[in-house]
Amino acid sequence: MKRTAGTTVTDTSPDPETEEVPKTEESRESKESRKSKEPRKPSESEESKESEESEEPGGHEEPHGDGENAGNGQPEEAAGTTGASPRRTPWLRVLAGVLTVALLATGATLFVKGQRLRDTPATSNHALTDTEATDRVTGEVGSALSKVFSYGPRSTAATKETAKRVLAGKALQQYAALYGQVEKQAADQKLTLTTQVVHAGVTRLGTGSAHLLVFLDQVYEREGKAATTAAAQLSVTAELRGGRWVVVEITSR
Amino acid sequence: MNARTKNLGGRAVLLVAVLVCALGGWSYAQARGDDTLAYAKSRDAALADGTRHLARLNTLDGTSARSVESGLTAWLDASTGPLRDRLEGTRAKDTAALTESGATARGKVTDAALTALDDRAGTAALIATVDVEVTPRTGQAGTERKRFEASLARTGDGWKITALDALPVGSGA
Repeated sequence: MKRTAGTTVTDTSPDPETEEVPKTEESRESKESRKSKEPRKPSESEESKESEESEEPGGHEEPHGDGENAGNGQPEEAAGTTGASPRRTPWLRVLAGVLTVALLATGATLFVKGQRLRDTPATSNHALTDTEATDRVTGEVGSALSKVFSYGPRSTAATKETAKRVLAGKALQQYAALYGQVEKQAADQKLTLTTQVVHAGVTRLGTGSAHLLVFLDQVYEREGKAATTAAAQLSVTAELRGGRWVVVEITSR
Repeated sequence: MNARTKNLGGRAVLLVAVLVCALGGWSYAQARGDDTLAYAKSRDAALADGTRHLARLNTLDGTSARSVESGLTAWLDASTGPLRDRLEGTRAKDTAALTESGATARGKVTDAALTALDDRAGTAALIATVDVEVTPRTGQAGTERKRFEASLARTGDGWKITALDALPVGSGA
């Protein structure tokens, strides 16, 4: 196989086998052409071997035509370079160029489309998508609200302390402003307030802040009187501080 | 530059192009196949549609029989399933009653949140607070504050309301 197209015989290193086998017309011619030329570099003979192989299945993929030309006794170099190229290369080059551009354009388009799919406000909001975090913020905020809005005549101080832990910022200021009145009322009227979370939903959940809507039921009990129930709906903004969700803003709805 | 290096360069460029295309395709496929992303988009769509439809269901222009008719059509359009069936069933009665009363209501959702979402089943639960401004035919306009719990279902035309409950005080668990 090595010698069929008369290419291997052009190896610079003398091949002992070459001397032993009977010389064919081709190999003799090739030998002549070799004599007339400078010794080739190994890389060139590599190339001709490679092109010889790839010539076999399709026959037209390679721009080189070493095998044929060598068979005709042409100097191999002519075949390897520009000699045979003008016949097949131009449209192949164009095809390769078009293919390259098309591939690049497709890749870029798909990438941009993918980014556009990803880059929406939906991705930065983890409400419901991160079930664990959603449950946690719902639980912590719900518990905070039910604690700060529950007190009895003798437990206002405890509620106040709790409020300082679970509320902050504007929410704590508002609460503190109201609480003086609440304390007095609770003591004077022997008022007990019990607050329960009915429903809570998270509208927005980011890494450090969250927005929730909480429905509350509040039961007022005055000593010696029937209890009355009231509803409260709060829009709540919470922030993650020191690993705990703290309510920073409350808006009544 | 000889033919060998030119050829190599061309192949390298082509290979790079193939890689770019493959990467782009992979990135796009990742985004398309991202369940969390799809879920998040469903959530936002359900909340937006639910909020819009809830406002419509709390809105009715009672100035004329015609405006009542179009208001009730809007109610049907905002609902699906059991709620739509019920509204369709009582439509004639509602039209008569609402036309007679002549009151106009304008609902505005002040806040809303999804409490549950099943993207696969196409169902969601929503809570919302609504301010309903009611203007009677004669007399002063007043604003009612209401809180609702709604069930949503995905239809070919977006999310719609299948059940709507005004949550009274003391309904809690």
